[in-house]
Amino acid sequence: MLEIIALIYLLALLSGILVGSISLPLVMSRNIMFSLTLLHSILGGAILGVFINTMYNLNIPIPLFATFTAIFFSILAAELVEKGFPEDTATAFSVAAATTITIVFSFYASSISSTALAEAWSYVMGASSLATLEDLTKIIVVLIITIPIVHLFWREFKYIAFDPEGAEALGLNVRFYRYLFYSIVAFVSAVLSSTVGVLVAHVILAAPGAFALKIYKKKPVILSYIISTLLMLTGYILARILNIPPSGGVGLTSTILILSMVILREHD
Amino acid sequence: MNNEVNIENVTVKYNSFKVLDNISFNLISPFFVVIMGPNGAGKTTLLKTLLGLVKPTQGNINIYGYNPERNISEIRKITGYVPQIVNINTYVPITVEEVVSMGYLSKTKPPRILSKRVKNKVKEVLEIVNLPGVENKMFTELSGGQRQRILIARALIKNPKLLLLDEPFSMLDFKIKCEITALLYKLFRELDIDILMVAHELSPCIPYQPQVIILNKKIYAIGKADEVLKTDILSQAYPGVTSLPGGIIIGEDHA
Repeated sequence: MLEIIALIYLLALLSGILVGSISLPLVMSRNIMFSLTLLHSILGGAILGVFINTMYNLNIPIPLFATFTAIFFSILAAELVEKGFPEDTATAFSVAAATTITIVFSFYASSISSTALAEAWSYVMGASSLATLEDLTKIIVVLIITIPIVHLFWREFKYIAFDPEGAEALGLNVRFYRYLFYSIVAFVSAVLSSTVGVLVAHVILAAPGAFALKIYKKKPVILSYIISTLLMLTGYILARILNIPPSGGVGLTSTILILSMVILREHD
Repeated sequence: MNNEVNIENVTVKYNSFKVLDNISFNLISPFFVVIMGPNGAGKTTLLKTLLGLVKPTQGNINIYGYNPERNISEIRKITGYVPQIVNINTYVPITVEEVVSMGYLSKTKPPRILSKRVKNKVKEVLEIVNLPGVENKMFTELSGGQRQRILIARALIKNPKLLLLDEPFSMLDFKIKCEITALLYKLFRELDIDILMVAHELSPCIPYQPQVIILNKKIYAIGKADEVLKTDILSQAYPGVTSLPGGIIIGEDHA
């Protein structure tokens, strides 16, 4: 029993670190709308995965479908922006396409299997309160890939968020770095979604970075890590106390954090 | 490398919309030039075309012997660009040192590390723009005029031959506009840097007798201020120009 509890909190801790690594650059680049694309495309990808697995009797991991769909739609949105479309138009287009996939394949999946929709729904709400070694392995692998990339290109991500036009004139490959960042965020979001659920992953992606920038602009990186880790741990503890899924607990703590930001803004 | 910036029959279209229409001019170094024109005249596009960020639909560009399409790495070495300050995302927590150093670090490969040598270069250029000792301040802690100087310092750290500035006066009061112009003129006279800037307001530059290009998709005039700032020229380039007994109003500012 103790081992299971330790596993759950270790998963929460590592998920927190993972969120902390991408939250700040995501907020800095003012791409909160972009996470809307992610939310819909992860969901669309998950349902597409459920459909393909059911249809062809396969056992391909659903996060794999979700990751590739999220990367595809994120890059599609980014490419539309590069082609001169306004960001909200590009996001709206990607969201519409991803939502269409969700609706169409939900329909087809439910018509061939009675459990398909329930499986997809678990992706929306998050896994049960039991953490598995498989979850932990997934998070560790994503951490090992993500954190070095984010910090290796930290200066570039920051600089492109600060002044994309100037960065391009200086010779930085803005498109490459933008796509790289979007792909990392899509990858992280898809894996997080498989543990805490799409909806909560969507909420917690931005909250730590935004709060870190709000309270101390000089050291936001370390602060983003601390806030996201605390957010996840307290969310999991809260979930245990209230006997709800971890996604519910994390959702509650994220909401409290967002409300604190609103109050802080009113005091400014 | 020669000493000319030559634009020959350049047309730029966005989709089918003409932004620059068959423009030509020739500038011989040293030059201190202000490009004026109404909003949507293609001024920023012209700067971006010179930098190789926008490809012309037709025509030839030659910057000191280099073509922006074929010799982009040389163009980046010899040009410094100061974008419109309104395009800067002040939500990003970035120090002055980080902003200025990127001008230098962009020439290197990742990981771009702030070495002691780079830090010293930052200090040197901050002294040139009269802002010594601000390297550890956050960019957002600075005033509008100081921010503009920092962006100029970022361009200067590359030792450019040509400095392209997109509306360096926007959102500044007149005194600061004059200070920025004085700084640019100092760079022109003392460091032999050619200046090509887009501006809506010429008055801060008048004491330095710049060459003026009047642009509104086409070139309407090139010459000294007193030669080109004439009602007949301006009324062609600026639709809706207002004539008053004491002169004319053409002013508009991006703020």
